[in-house]
Amino acid sequence: MKIGSRALLLILQNAPYILFVVLLVVFGLMSDRFFAIANFRNIIIQAAPIAILAIGMTFVLLTAQIDLSVGGIMYLTATVLALYMTGAPWPVGLAAVIFMGGFIGALNGVVVTRLGVASFIVTLATLFILRGIAMYLSNTRTLMFGDEILTLNRATVLGIPSAIFAFLVVFAVAWVILHQTPFGRQVYAVGGDPEAARKAGLPVARIVFFCFVIAGICAGVGGFVSITQIGAVGPKYGDQIEFSAIAAAVLGGVSLFGGRGSVAGTVFGAILIKSVQNGLNIINADPYIYPLVTAAIIFLAVAIDGLRTRIIERLERRTIRPVSVE
Amino acid sequence: MTAVPPAHIAQSAIPRSGMGRLLKLVLSEYFILVLCLLYVAGIYPFVPEILTWGVWSNILGDMMPLLVVAIGQTFVLIVAGIDLSITAIISMAAVVGASVMTGTGGYLSGSAAAVPIAILVMLLVGVGIGFINGMSIVWLNMPSFIVTLATRMFFAGAAIWFVTFHSTSSSIADLPRSFSNFSTGSFSGIPYTVLVVGMIAVVAHVFLSRTRYGRWIYAVGANPKAARVSGIPVERTIMMAFLISGACASVAAMIYAARMQTGSPIAGENILLDVIGAVVIGGTSLFGGKGKIIWTVFGVLFLVILDTSMKLLGASLFAIYIIKGSVILLAAMMDTLRNRILAER
Amino acid sequence: MTGASTPFLRVEGVRKSFFGVTVLHDVSFAVEAGKALGLVGENGSGKSTSMNILGGVIQPEAGSMFLGGEAYAPADPKQAAAAGVAFIHQELNLFHNLTVEENLFVDAFPRRGVLPLIDRRAIRASTEEVLAEVDLQVKPSTLVAKLSQGERQLVEIAKAVSRNARLIIFDEPTTSLTRPEVERLFAIIERLKQRGIAIIYISHALEDVISVCETITVLRDGHLAGTAPKDDLTLQQIIAMMVGRSIDTIYPQRLRSGGGDRIFSVSGLSQPGVAENVSFDIRQGEIVGLSGLMGSGRSELARMIFGLDPFRRGVITINGKPLNDPTPRSAMDAGIAFLTEDRRGEGLLMDFTVSENTVLASLRSVAGALGILDKRAISRVSLDMASAMRLSTDRVDDTQVKHLSGGNQQKVVIGKWLRRQPVLFILDEPTRGIDVGAKQEVYRIINGLVERGSAVLLISSEIEELMGLSDRILALSRGEMVGSFDSKPFDREAIMAAAAGVGKLEAAE
Repeated sequence: MKIGSRALLLILQNAPYILFVVLLVVFGLMSDRFFAIANFRNIIIQAAPIAILAIGMTFVLLTAQIDLSVGGIMYLTATVLALYMTGAPWPVGLAAVIFMGGFIGALNGVVVTRLGVASFIVTLATLFILRGIAMYLSNTRTLMFGDEILTLNRATVLGIPSAIFAFLVVFAVAWVILHQTPFGRQVYAVGGDPEAARKAGLPVARIVFFCFVIAGICAGVGGFVSITQIGAVGPKYGDQIEFSAIAAAVLGGVSLFGGRGSVAGTVFGAILIKSVQNGLNIINADPYIYPLVTAAIIFLAVAIDGLRTRIIERLERRTIRPVSVE
Repeated sequence: MTAVPPAHIAQSAIPRSGMGRLLKLVLSEYFILVLCLLYVAGIYPFVPEILTWGVWSNILGDMMPLLVVAIGQTFVLIVAGIDLSITAIISMAAVVGASVMTGTGGYLSGSAAAVPIAILVMLLVGVGIGFINGMSIVWLNMPSFIVTLATRMFFAGAAIWFVTFHSTSSSIADLPRSFSNFSTGSFSGIPYTVLVVGMIAVVAHVFLSRTRYGRWIYAVGANPKAARVSGIPVERTIMMAFLISGACASVAAMIYAARMQTGSPIAGENILLDVIGAVVIGGTSLFGGKGKIIWTVFGVLFLVILDTSMKLLGASLFAIYIIKGSVILLAAMMDTLRNRILAER
Repeated sequence: MTGASTPFLRVEGVRKSFFGVTVLHDVSFAVEAGKALGLVGENGSGKSTSMNILGGVIQPEAGSMFLGGEAYAPADPKQAAAAGVAFIHQELNLFHNLTVEENLFVDAFPRRGVLPLIDRRAIRASTEEVLAEVDLQVKPSTLVAKLSQGERQLVEIAKAVSRNARLIIFDEPTTSLTRPEVERLFAIIERLKQRGIAIIYISHALEDVISVCETITVLRDGHLAGTAPKDDLTLQQIIAMMVGRSIDTIYPQRLRSGGGDRIFSVSGLSQPGVAENVSFDIRQGEIVGLSGLMGSGRSELARMIFGLDPFRRGVITINGKPLNDPTPRSAMDAGIAFLTEDRRGEGLLMDFTVSENTVLASLRSVAGALGILDKRAISRVSLDMASAMRLSTDRVDDTQVKHLSGGNQQKVVIGKWLRRQPVLFILDEPTRGIDVGAKQEVYRIINGLVERGSAVLLISSEIEELMGLSDRILALSRGEMVGSFDSKPFDREAIMAAAAGVGKLEAAE
């Protein structure tokens, strides 16, 4: 019985990946265009903004907090860029976006850690405020970007499209931070057991604070990559994207209760979502069913995760005597 | 241990000074209502219309759909869950209900039974989605945030899709007059919507504060383990909260559909954050075990007064956003502070 | 004290009181480097207060401490750790989602030069070194979640070793370990001693204390009851020093005891890994004590009967009717009440009022049509409960239970269950963490309960309490019934031996 459970566990543990492969095969069988290299490149380009956002979200989720304001950060930073930095070279724009995103994230972090207000409410409120400020600045108009930004979309670095390059850089940096720095490991510690972290003398508040800063920076960068693709920013820009980012992270195995998950999983989640949409597009599916399929996949992945947790709990239930063979 | 002072001593320790009275007010559960009054008094010189009958009947009308959804959300938050799917339930119930009773190609077009059956179907949609939410949380061990996020995506999409089978436009129009009467008609001067939502509020209040099922909801939200040991059916209680939330959302769908005489998949699309914001401003905890219907009424009232006064002032959408966000933030900070003071006493 | 060498840690005349109640009276003890001191005493004897003082959690009012010859007065746990004092608590302080090596260094990772990168090679090497020291053969990169309880404890010890701890305090380290894991732990402790580390070992399992320690200090009611080399002490002497008072004065006499109809029985209860073929019965008006070490399965047995944990086989019969697949609701309907060992986590809703808690398990009795609650009835029955339990407050409608003392909280839990007039009341550690006065009141309430015809299953880690209250005592060890003791006076040593899973099985029949 135990061996059976372990095998089932192994399957459940990798369920999102199995799901991914199954979907690839299904789409591949239905259209030979799906498996083209160019298509995969497209998928990753399309997934880049949301993946970058979701990477930042992962930091926050790992500490058992949540950031609903990322869409607002994205919208406001892009608006400021479109209004006041039209002539500036793009590296200056990118730096400005990083700075602004980090600053707004810091504000979220201060209110959450210093005042002790639930992050759900804090970031819900800042979402309203940020969107309001951006609408105020732009007069609720759609703003167009100049060539300086638009050419970035076609630019390549070492033969890699710029969006993919940006995404890879953010991913690599985030991975190194989470897995190779003291801060990153402490993020996991704080999320895994905040009480133990406090007892171990870790600066819990500071760690949570920096996670919000990182989420803010990622929102800014993700927004920047997105505007190079869209070329414009309007009132619907980044609307509801916080939910997509959370969905990508959760699909990749990040727990909402903190301490579990990784940026690699998150990136996988974002790519999975975009692959599904791309595949549905290629097989000429009714566009109305896109959200339905996406929602069903997220639901399935989380349901499987719930099942997995239950099995682990059963396997790890404390025994006080050897289990006799039945 | 023996030296812990009896609680009644601690409770009478509030000084009788002005400061003490202020503190008592801040700590009272009518704090948000007082804020409403103060706000109206403060804004009156700038928009004297705020105290006219017409404006208040508007405020009341705007409040109703928001309030009924917020009542359902209150139940869910008290059991320490969250329901993000409410707007999708509204959309889905609105379009499915409309497809039954619309004059152009509805399933029961023209039939006398169309409207009652449509109302029943809308309720069923709400309760059905609530059931899916509850089932996934209770049986599949999924966090409510993700479950309702997924059902929200799914049914919001499904509602739009559903319309394509029944209409060439993006919504299902031509609803019977007898249905849209719900939003325009009144009974001895009280609009039907106010009557219905008011009754729901009273029933919800009695249910939560006066019945043993209400006690179950609080106990499960405060400490599911202790609730279970006390013989409370924890799973059934969580399910009940999500069913109630679904039913409440479908009532909001009726109000929106009647008001627009149309079943629109984007009806109430943007109210999710308003609803959660209003409930939390009222003082209901996101972490479960604490909340009251009356608090939610105050919270919704506050948010709608704010909204209305801003519109009267000619403020634009962005100003409303900024102010609404700031107010939610301030209220949350205030609530945290309040709880801290209460805990220290 | 014993040898000629000066002790490494010396505690002299330490006193501490809370809210005017002195909980430690001039307590002194000492440990030599490379030796182990056993610290024993009943719950509430002052062990944890002493340890909190040593760990810098609280500060003493009088007395002095010396560590390695220098004055030692830690102001907070950090200073204690810096001075080389480490704790291995019953609840380990590890991060399950981090690896073994990361747990060892989580608050002070070595860095690669100026970069903020973890020097993985360095922590790998030093982790391997200390793991070898504690004889734990796992890879440093293993997730702690994948380790057994015993292995996790060794990681905690390795952490202490890697921080150059000079005094390691073990607090009930064996409760959740299997026997081979216990043996391994003792071997490690021996090795730590050889390295010159001083050990303080706290446990209820006296046999373990005797086998690990050179010297034993006994505390009783906050006083030092005595210190002696272990060779000069027998188990009986230690127990006598721990108890030191006449049982009769604490445990009230019951008017009539035992002897009713057999009202409750369990037969062949089994759950893999938890219980094996457990059978017993209880008569009306009888108190049956359940003795066993922590981790013997006593609480698990109670939870299975009450429908909180599943079981594979077995029949539970109450009032002549079988209780199939119990759930808390069906168990309650059959007449079972259950006071859990976790008062704060499972017994009460801490933020709720006394009256809300009082009626929580019997809402139907105060509800009318449509489940509408009768608020006046709730107040009335809660007030009745408060006066019957002699609660410290009568403001039952607006006093949150978190503002009550531990003893009064426990009375609320008992009162809440008594409202259901239980046929069988299972009491799991009913006097844990409450003071002596409150204990006596709880005993009085239990006696009143059985005099009115209820049956009681009493679980306690205090053997004196079991002996003072029970008509019969059952001993449980590793999920098996290993003894039944019927006659008063009870043979304390035999019960303890049976519960510890050593010595004779059936005794004093």
